[in-house]
Formats: sequence, structure tokens, C-alpha cells
Amino acid sequence: MKKILLFAVIFILFPRIGIADLKIDFPEFQSARKEMVFKQIRLRGISSQMVLEAMTAVPRHLFVPKNLANQAYEDYPLPVGEGQTISQPYIVALMTESLNLKGHENVLEIGTGSGYQAAVLSKIVNRVFTIEIRKKLYERATDRLRFLEFKNIETFYGDGYFGLPDKAPFDCIMITAAVDHIPPPLLKQLKVGGKLILPLGNPFGYQSLTLVTKSDNDYQVKQITGCLFVPMTGIALDRKRK
Amino acid sequence: MLLLSAVFLLSLSSLTFEILLTRFFSISQWNHLSFMAISIALFGFASAGTFLNIIASVKKYWETHLRLNIWINGCLILYAGSAVGSFLALNQIPLDFFRLPLEYLQVLYLFIIYLLLILPFFFTGLLVSLSYALLPQKSGFIYFAGMAGSACGAVIPAILISRFSEGQIIILTSVFPLVLVFWGRFFIDNYHRPTNLNALFRPATHVLISLAIMGIAAILLIPGNKSLISASPSPYKSLSQTLLYPDTLITQTSTDLRGRVDTVKSPYIRFAPGLSIKYEGDLPNQWATFRDGDNQFVLYNLPSDRNSYFVRSSLTYAGYLLRPFPEHVLIIQTNGGVAIPCAISSNASKITIVEQNPHIARIVRDHYALPVVNQNPRTFLSVSHQRFDIIHIDNWGYSLPGSAALNQEHLFTTDAFQSYLNHLTPHGLLVISRKLLLPPTDTIRLWATAFESLSAIGNKNPENHIAMLRNWDSFTLLVSPTPLQDAETIISFAQDFNFDIVYQKNISFKKANQYNLFDQPYHYNEIKRLASAYKSGQEKKYFNDYPFDVSPQSDHRPFPNRYLKWSRLKQIYQSMGSRFYTLFLSGEITVMVVFFEAFILSIMLLLVPVIFISKKREKGFLRILVYFLSAGAGFIFVELFFIKQYTLLFGDPVISFTLALTGILIFTGLGGFCSQWLTLKSLKYTLISLIVLQLLIFFGFNIWLTRLMEIPTIFQYVFAFIILLPIGVLMGMPFPLGMMYILKNPVQRAYAWTANGCASVLSSIISAQIAVSLGIPVIMLCAIFAYILALFTFSTRLR
Repeated sequence: MKKILLFAVIFILFPRIGIADLKIDFPEFQSARKEMVFKQIRLRGISSQMVLEAMTAVPRHLFVPKNLANQAYEDYPLPVGEGQTISQPYIVALMTESLNLKGHENVLEIGTGSGYQAAVLSKIVNRVFTIEIRKKLYERATDRLRFLEFKNIETFYGDGYFGLPDKAPFDCIMITAAVDHIPPPLLKQLKVGGKLILPLGNPFGYQSLTLVTKSDNDYQVKQITGCLFVPMTGIALDRKRK
Repeated sequence: MLLLSAVFLLSLSSLTFEILLTRFFSISQWNHLSFMAISIALFGFASAGTFLNIIASVKKYWETHLRLNIWINGCLILYAGSAVGSFLALNQIPLDFFRLPLEYLQVLYLFIIYLLLILPFFFTGLLVSLSYALLPQKSGFIYFAGMAGSACGAVIPAILISRFSEGQIIILTSVFPLVLVFWGRFFIDNYHRPTNLNALFRPATHVLISLAIMGIAAILLIPGNKSLISASPSPYKSLSQTLLYPDTLITQTSTDLRGRVDTVKSPYIRFAPGLSIKYEGDLPNQWATFRDGDNQFVLYNLPSDRNSYFVRSSLTYAGYLLRPFPEHVLIIQTNGGVAIPCAISSNASKITIVEQNPHIARIVRDHYALPVVNQNPRTFLSVSHQRFDIIHIDNWGYSLPGSAALNQEHLFTTDAFQSYLNHLTPHGLLVISRKLLLPPTDTIRLWATAFESLSAIGNKNPENHIAMLRNWDSFTLLVSPTPLQDAETIISFAQDFNFDIVYQKNISFKKANQYNLFDQPYHYNEIKRLASAYKSGQEKKYFNDYPFDVSPQSDHRPFPNRYLKWSRLKQIYQSMGSRFYTLFLSGEITVMVVFFEAFILSIMLLLVPVIFISKKREKGFLRILVYFLSAGAGFIFVELFFIKQYTLLFGDPVISFTLALTGILIFTGLGGFCSQWLTLKSLKYTLISLIVLQLLIFFGFNIWLTRLMEIPTIFQYVFAFIILLPIGVLMGMPFPLGMMYILKNPVQRAYAWTANGCASVLSSIISAQIAVSLGIPVIMLCAIFAYILALFTFSTRLR
């Protein structure tokens, strides 16, 4: 209750508050973040310590519109303007954990969006390259990431379909934009043994993940429904249902 | 005459406003929000009756003090001003449907929009209810004027939409009724000479205010101000998303009654659903059209046939491998675009494309230089005697699953499948590709639809005629009138391109989850269970037990994107992480929310006058209420029954909406006009005739509709219109006759108007739910029940 009141006071009294003002990561945001990581992520089965720490470290409220900052740590995606969304925290964590990162990797992200996913990755891996085709989003995310001093992230403005041949090969590729097929140029830029992950479904509805693992001359595609969806598939597919 | 003209013009303008508001919402938000426009309009009308009741309770004998000319001019001016103002506000307020559960400000926006948009309908309702209240002896004429005006209002968008934008037509028709302020000025002194006290309302003042409103309208109509009144697609729609890419432009926009078609050129459109992960080549350049900001249809630049070869690595091509070098391919397209490259790539001798939208038909014809039939596909098949080697349905669904739950489509019903199968050569193949959904829904329903259709046309082992393949996000269904023999072709195709087999006779478990791994082969398992259920005659139990509605649908219940079972809502909600807002993605749930909101508002509107006029209530008050409620509900049920039934005939809900609405309004107006010369006695016979006619329609309409589908389009329009004549005329009588003979004073008449309006709102919303859950014919049953109730209340006590 206290937290809500404090948020309310902040956003009612200072509606024009900017990133600079918010850069001071209020203790209330920190505790909300810890609660988010514990309740929404850890209890749902995400166990990678690196992922949990990254999600605890990145101030998600700085990646959402000011008027939604008080909901940044809630268990749902948020619209960030121009029809774009920032994924539900659990999906970000699940996508990150599914890549089975060790810390030395170079990761390519297609679709920078708000920059939040890149920020989480940057806390875990060696380098993050992220491409955004929509100029406004690219500029906003670049400013934000630079301002927040995420130094191992390189942002690019351009067409993610063709990846970044100059920076290839990548250990992992993450596609956060909606696609109906996996772009062949991206598969070529993936190291042997590398992983490519992309979400399916609608951010507002249910989502599952598609994880592609490259072997010498073949690919394995695995669908990760995530623990959130287990009850649904459980209902749908339980042979002992009523 | 002035009063009747005012009723006519306001009815005309407000119906145009209502229709275009639904169009506006379907572009700027989503289709199911168009129900909001309907509820706004009808509530505006209904609340006017409540308002008059409140006035009556505050000021006794109010009707004797009333200056009709001032009320007429007042309603005309207030209508025009509020229509222009509320529409402008609607366009400027940044309402975001997806932020509604997250931001309180959005709730405020929605509330303001709702409130402002009610105003014009309120002023229309005020004038009409006032007319009934004060001139009951002219009820037939008033009813006629209202219905005739509404009929014209229903047709106006159809005529003007190709020349003007939705916003321009709204502005134009909003100020049009103001001509009566000028015309009425010549009659004004015949009524009342203005005094100092009402100087504000003197005719000259009316004219000045009207001129000011017209001036504002004229400024808004200047091309430079188009952005103030044009509908912008929701930022979540495919068109808005595509336009965010650099170097992406809308090169052409065409609008007609069916909707808006935007042609977009962009180097970043790359549509290849079902493309194999093994494909390493390039995709041809593409461009696209979007219908109402969504429903992307992609056109490929194919300078040579080789450019189309990428589809040979896609899931969709499976059918063309089984039937190589087809003689004649029929493509039925609604969205997507990959079917044409498939057919070209297969070296088909002849390709026929059926596209319902005339703009897209022209674009496809010009681009591919292929024959395109601009017709409703079901009608095309019902008159065609041709046989095809492949019938390919190009329809990938919607960008927002759930939002299309209420969309009526007749391409995936058992009737449609039978029609496809009857038009295939003996070894022909039906090919359907769609998005793969989890939990399995679409896959199960389409498989079951194929099974039951094959069974219906006499195949003893339908399961031998079906195959289904999938990758990670799409599936392809193959159905043949003869058993599929070439199992090896499908298996090797799946192996070569890393696809999995969801269903094929005697396929092993391993092949179902080999390349695109789920924890379990969910789709395979479910279809296997369903096949067993069919074999043991337990399919009904299967469909009852399954948590989603996946049973095959006939033309009576053609809602292929609807999977919700209300009885399982709690489970579904919990499985979505108990996130309340996810429920709002479903059109069906949104409509039910609107229904409950409408229900509460209706009770309020009906209760407020009861509180105010409780002392004056006469015996039989409740029966009066029931009579007008049931007459209002019956009317709307019949109207919606025809709109939904004609959608099969014309293939487009907008065409059927315009035709059925116009026809019913014209003929009910005619009925109202005739009622002017009828006595109370005739009401009973009218209701009995109406019920008998409805029963005949309920039992015989299907036969009539089947016959209609087989005749040329122009005659379809004519006969579909004429069939509305008898029922329309009869439906036009109960309301004015009730106003003339059953009700005794203006207060009662105003209340009856409210009751009628509330019933109309509720029945129009609930009809959508009845259609998706129980089927379209049940709407007619509801209408029959409503009119029986009206007859019962009338026969027992009202006379």
C-alpha cells in the first residue's frame, strides 16, 4: 500500500518527471523488482542465477513510458507506444534462460524495442548487438541505453532480416519481432551449436517460444511452452479431464 | 409536415452516423468495438424517453406549454452541433483499447467518448419520442418518417463511401438536417410569436447558430483538414506496424462499402509462412494490400516462374506435390497471398482465382495477369460445374487471435467443405494452410470438418482421405475425395524440409514430433483421439469434454475463429496467468461486457421513470412495458437474423447489413404508414400473421437461400430485398398501433419509447452471442418468442 501511495505521489506531483530524475533507482522500485524476480520468475521455475541477477539489476521502470512506470514490475506486458510492447518479465527471463548462456557469448538481438531485453542480456554476456528498423524506437533505445551506461551493447539502425554479417558469427540470436518464417540469413550467421530463439503468439495473449539449435548441417526446432502455459496445455490435453 | 420532415432528416442523419461510427471503430480499434457504436446509438434514443418522463414529473401538463417549433429547431441544432463536436472529439482523444486495463486515464477517455457520442442520438430520440408523445394519432406517419429516414441513412454510406471518407460523410450528413431550420423559419410565426424571454431561441438566432455550425463543418471539409476527421488505424494493426518501416508508403487507398483497402509498397515486406528452415535462398520482392488496416494480402513480384520456387520449400506446397502438374487450380483467397506462387510454381495449366473484394480482385488481376473472378466464393461454387485438381484456400487468420471470434465466415463450414469436395476431380485435393495454435483448436476443428464432410458425401472411411502437416507455426490440411495413396511422398517431403506429420493414416508417433519438437505431439495426440472417438461413435462426448469449442460448424453457426466455452472460462482465465486484461482480447468476452453494461444502463433508464411516475401508474403498466420490450426485441432479432443469413449469400457482412437493414426499414416504414388506417382490433391479427410468417421463415429459409445462391447476382439482390417485404410490413405495425391505441398519455408513450430502445440495444448485442453459441436460426426463434410474448400481453390485459 505504501509503495502504491509513494508511486502515486511521485507521478501525480511530478508528471513530467524524466529519465534523468528516475535514474536514481528508488528503493521502492528496487524492492518491487526483487519481488517481481521472486514471485513471477523464480517461483515459475527460472533457476539460472545469472538470469535472476540480471533481472534484479536492470531497472525495468526506466524502459516503459513514464505514466506506466508504476506498473513496470507487474506480471504483464506493457504498451510502449506506436503499437510496440515491452514483454512480460517472465517471458524476458524465459527467453534469456532458454539460450543457456555462460557469459562469454556474443548475442544478436533483432528488434531492439525499448532496449530492455538487450539490457538484461548485457548483464550476462560478453557483447550484445541489437538492430531496430523503426527509427524512432532505435533513437529512443540508443539514448536510453547510453544514458544508463550499458557499455557492452551496440545498437544498430537497420533491417534485422539480414542480421549483421560483419559481426557474425553469433553464439545466440534472439528475434523479438513478429515473424512468420525464420530469416535464412540469420541462420547462416549462427555458429554451429548456436541457438536462435523467437517468441510466438501475441504479447497480450499467450506466448510460447521457438528455440532453434544449429548443428553441423541441420537444425533442431523446439517449442518451449513455459510453465505459464502448462496449466493450459494441461487442461487441453489431460486425458483424465472431466 | 415540418415535424415529420425533422423526424425524417434526423433519423437519416443519425443512422448514417451510427453506421459510419461502426466503420470508424473497426478501422481505428477492432471489429468487436463496433458493438459499442450500436449501444451508444440505441441508448441515446432510449434515454430521450426517460428524459421526457423526468420532465413530466417535474412540470405537470408540460405538453401544453411546449413550443413545438422551438423544440424542433432546438433538436436539429443540438443534433448537428453535438454530432460534429463529438466526432471531432472522438478523433482527437487518444483512446488506446490495450491500455484500458492499465491506465485509469483511458477509462476516462472511453467514458467521455461514450458520453459525447450519445448526445446526437439523444437529440434524435428526443424529437421522435416527443412526436409520439404529443401526436399519438399520427403515430403511423411518424413511424413511417422515422423508418424512411433511417432507410435512406442506411443507403447513404454505400453511395458516398467511394467518393468521400467516413469522416467527411459524417460531417456532411450531420449538418444536413439544419436545412429545416431555414425552411421552418417561414412557418414559425404560425406557431408562436417569440417573446423577450425566449429571445435566444428566436428564429434569427436559430439561423445564426445553424450557420455557425455549417461554417465549422465547411472548414472541416477542406482537404487540408482531412487529418482532423479521418480514421487512423490502431497502432497495433498490421498496417500501422508496416508503416513504421523506413521507405514504406501507402501508394493507393480505395474505400467502398466493404471497407478500406490500402496498397503499401515497402522493401521490408517478407511474407513466407510455412517456409522450411532448410530454405537458404532469397525471397522475391513483395508488396501488400491491407483491409481496414489489417488482413494483409501479399503480392509477389515474379518476373519469371523461377521466382516462385521458394514456395516449393514451404508447407503449403505439400498439396501440389501430391497432385503435380495440375490441370486446373482454384484459389479462394481472403488474406495471405502464397497460394498464387504455389499454383504458378506447380506449372498448373489453368489457374482461377476467386476474390470477393473488387479492389483486391483488380489489383491481383493486373499484377499476375491471371483470371480473377470477383464473386463470393460460395456463390461461385454453387453455380460452377467445373472440376478442379486443387482447391487452395488462402486464409491465414487474424493478427490478433480472439478478436475475430464473432466474425462470420463461411469458408470453413461442413457445407463449404462438401462444396469444395464436390468440385474436385476424383484425385483432386483441397489445400488449407493456417497458423498453428496451441492448445490445439483450429487443427482439430478443421480435421473434424473434413471428416464429417467426407462422411456426408458418402465416404465410408473418411480418415483415409485426410493428411495434415505442420512446422513450428503453421499447418497444412490436405483432403481428397478419394483415399490418399501416396503416403511416401508426404513422408519424404516432410523429411526433406523438416516438417512433422500431424495426421496421416497409420503414421507413427515418431513422425509427429521429429523436427519441431513439442514436449508432447499435442496436435497429433488430439487428432488421434478424435479419430478414435469418431470410430467408436463417441465424437459428441469428445467435443463436450474438450475445454474449447472445436466441434465442426455448419453454415448455421459459421464462426471459425470462435473457440471459447463459457463453462470453462475460469480454467482458461487461470491458465492465462489470471491476467484479467487477456480476456478482453476475445471479441466474445468484450461483447458480453458491453451487454452487461447495457443491461445495467437499461435497468436504470427503465427504473428512473418508474420512480418518478410511480404514483400515476395505472393498472397494466408492467404489461405495457413487456409489450414494448418484446416488440422492440422481436424487431431487432428479425433484422439480425436476415443480416446474418444474407452474409452467406453475399459473402460480406457489410453488404448483407446494408441490404437487410435498408429493406427492413423501408418495409417497416410502409407497415407503419398503413397502420395509420388500422384499428386496435387488427393488432392481434397482425401479431398472429407475423408469428406464422416467422415460423415459415424459420423452417423454410434454408431452401430459399440455397435457391438464391444459384441465380445471377443481380437477381439475388432483388429477391433478397423482396423477401423482406411481408415480414417488414407486418413488423412495422405493432409499435405505432401500440402507441396509438394502447397508451393513454404522453408520459406512457415516452416510457414505451425508452422500453423499445432498451430492448433493441440488449437484443442486438445478445444476438451476436446467440449466433456464435447456438446458431443463427435460434435468433429467429427468439424473435418468434418475443412476438408471442407481445401477443400474450396484448391479448390478456392491454385492450
